[in-house]
Amino acid sequence: MESFKDKLYNYEAVPPQEAWSKISEQLQDEKVINLPNHKKSKTLYYFAIAAASLIIIFIGSFFFNSKQTNSNKNLSSTNKVISPEQMKDSIVLNRKILESIIHNPKEKQEIVSNDLKATNIPKKYITISGPEGQAVKISPKVATLIVSADHEFPPKPIWSKKIEKWKKIMLSSTVSTTSAGLADLIQLASANDKLE
Amino acid sequence: MTARSNHTPSESDLIKGCIEGNPEMQRLLYERFSSKMYGVCLRYAENTEDANDVMQEGFIKVYKSLPKFRAEGSFEGWIRRIFVNTSIEHYRKKVKLYNVTEVQENTIEDAEVDALDSLATKDILNIVNELSPGYKQVFNMHVVEGYSHKEIADLLGITEGTSKSQLARAKGVLKKIIETRRSNSQ
Repeated sequence: MESFKDKLYNYEAVPPQEAWSKISEQLQDEKVINLPNHKKSKTLYYFAIAAASLIIIFIGSFFFNSKQTNSNKNLSSTNKVISPEQMKDSIVLNRKILESIIHNPKEKQEIVSNDLKATNIPKKYITISGPEGQAVKISPKVATLIVSADHEFPPKPIWSKKIEKWKKIMLSSTVSTTSAGLADLIQLASANDKLE
Repeated sequence: MTARSNHTPSESDLIKGCIEGNPEMQRLLYERFSSKMYGVCLRYAENTEDANDVMQEGFIKVYKSLPKFRAEGSFEGWIRRIFVNTSIEHYRKKVKLYNVTEVQENTIEDAEVDALDSLATKDILNIVNELSPGYKQVFNMHVVEGYSHKEIADLLGITEGTSKSQLARAKGVLKKIIETRRSNSQ
């Protein structure tokens, strides 16, 4: 004999005639979700994300490459522009700058302003460009050390080592290869010594 | 092609057709399950009017939820669950169940309620319908549908203790109704 639980569970009744018409009317009004369209929209959504990512990557790489090309161009143009005469002039000028700083601190503000076109630079320091092109302020004392670093008997070997290290960093830098760079100053100064 | 495949689509075809919004498939799905689900509605509802409302609401939910059907259980079981939940939601809108702190353990022997087995389905239904709405919900969910007290508590927004108490009281009331009927018939 079927248990009352099963009887209740399997209980069926005929719904009223109008039940289906009401449901179908509501279905037409609400337009039940259509999975294929949903799938399509999902596919479109993923496609849009992929396309957007590609565009971002493309634009990013384009800007990166153009920036790199420009910096390379600048670098090569800087290298090309400096002729032997200009190099000599530059050496002389930088030597003058350094010696002026060392021997005549009072004039350094004027020298800095004329040569580096910098404004609002404290009187006690000279600004040169660092390995990444950033402004680096050096004191006349450090300038002395830079000049004497390449000499056979530097005042303090420990400073000479530090400057040598910095020099290497500066030489590996692709950003700052101008005559305002520390390494350039050192190189130009030592080259000038050799010329003399 | 057999006549069956022409006139009685498979369950998966029905599901696919309904998802695609095919009105014919929607009608066929309704026809296949309407009697069973109307039975569920009548068991839970207080009156026929409520049962009709739940019937309509339940089928709309079924059509809307079909894309989510994962075929992890039986399709009929999935539809039935939607109808039970819809019935409970409908009931909860109308009646506020209060938590009963006292937990009355099941003191009524199942054998006493099992006396219902000998009755016809309509008579059983009439007896169960004499229960108060709160008792009827818990009785249907636990005894007929097989929900745990935890599930009932979650769905009805009551504690497990209250669910157990309601069931014990429902069985007590059923026992009295059965005894009264017996004495009247003798």
